[in-house]
Amino acid sequence: MINNLLRSFIYFVVFVLIQVLILNNIHFLRIATPFLYLYFIIKMPVGSSRTQVVFFSFIAGVVIDMFSNTPGMHAAACTLAGFCREPLIRVFMGKDLPEGIFPSYKTFGFGGFFRYVLSFVLIQHTALFMIESLTLFDPLFLVVRILSSVVMTTLLICTVEAFNIESQKSGE
Amino acid sequence: MRKLLEFLIGKRHWFLFILLEAVSLVLVYRNNAYQRNIMFSSANVVTGYIASISGSVTSYLNLRDINKELLERNGQLELQMLDLQDQLDALIADTVSFKGFAPDSAEQFPYSFVVADVVNNSVTHLSNYITVNKGKLDGIVPDMGVVSERGVVGIVSTVSDHFSVIIPLLNPKFRLSCKVLGSSYFGSLSWNGRNTLYANLDELPRHVEFQKGDTIVTSGYSAVFPSGIIVGTVADFEKQHDDNFYSLQVKLATDFQALNNVRIIKNFRQAEQIGVEQEAKRND
Repeated sequence: MINNLLRSFIYFVVFVLIQVLILNNIHFLRIATPFLYLYFIIKMPVGSSRTQVVFFSFIAGVVIDMFSNTPGMHAAACTLAGFCREPLIRVFMGKDLPEGIFPSYKTFGFGGFFRYVLSFVLIQHTALFMIESLTLFDPLFLVVRILSSVVMTTLLICTVEAFNIESQKSGE
Repeated sequence: MRKLLEFLIGKRHWFLFILLEAVSLVLVYRNNAYQRNIMFSSANVVTGYIASISGSVTSYLNLRDINKELLERNGQLELQMLDLQDQLDALIADTVSFKGFAPDSAEQFPYSFVVADVVNNSVTHLSNYITVNKGKLDGIVPDMGVVSERGVVGIVSTVSDHFSVIIPLLNPKFRLSCKVLGSSYFGSLSWNGRNTLYANLDELPRHVEFQKGDTIVTSGYSAVFPSGIIVGTVADFEKQHDDNFYSLQVKLATDFQALNNVRIIKNFRQAEQIGVEQEAKRND
């Protein structure tokens, strides 16, 4: 339990720092920004209570908001995505997962993990960009922005996961 | 009861979710001007529409008074016309070959007006505003002057496609250059925020001669109003602290509490006048 908390805390600090110091400055072709900090929510252990997940998602969103000067937007989107996390896992992996494992290629399988990450990121980004624009003034551009950011974030998360030493060990 | 509690505890992630979403959206709304403006402006379309409906209903109730006012005004204008006709006849009779009086037909009177209905009006606040049902599509632009049948009302401040908002005399932000009818010294008229029937005319030089009841008219120096439009009458006056200027209390001619129709004055040469004035200032 303590171990889990410590692990979550380290994940949180590392990925929020990477996000605010490096990735927030990337605007690929002025439309796409990768949001790697979602990796922290994605990697929370399976079976942690939904209350816990929603709460930590909110905290992560608020911290990102503070650094990127967009009060409330990331918080709202992350809370929604965190709320949808458990149903997503249930839809893609079924109910028979052992409690306490961390989502990774080994536990979920490559396809399962990829689908899980993609749908999670899609929910979060759609909510985020909708709140940011708030009108359907230029729907095509909005869709382009959402999809390009989703692609970048998903690619980045899958790459990070492939190089994550911890998930390679825990799978054995 | 226990079942209910169990149910609530079982669904606690729902409550947490809704609570945190509400907190985030409040944060978005309070701290981001863009989102707030979008919510506000879409609300404004609705309120403007509702106000125009209620305005079209209540305008019927005052038709009798308006009719009477129009008849009075009509009579006055007829008298004035007869008076001028009389003078003209006299002049023509006196000087058989008087040609200098004929107006230049190429000279165009630079003002015209648009009649608009008041759809929203306030008199009780410190800063009052009036909304009327004519906007950009009717050729209204900001800084046009607005008058009623009785006298000056205010000045157009913002316009949308179908509505415009007027800053009336009953708003401390609005100052109007005025003079006493018959003299050419001007002062600045402003509202003190207390009584909707009166406004103050300050900075009028001390040697201007006038009495209680004299008429105050616009000076015509601002490119917004033509000169000579009635603003009100002198109700009371006192010397200002520095003793070189009068401060006049003016009883406003327009009854802001029963305002139904206004005329918005278009000045074809306003842009030209403002442009040349600004150029003069720049060259200074």
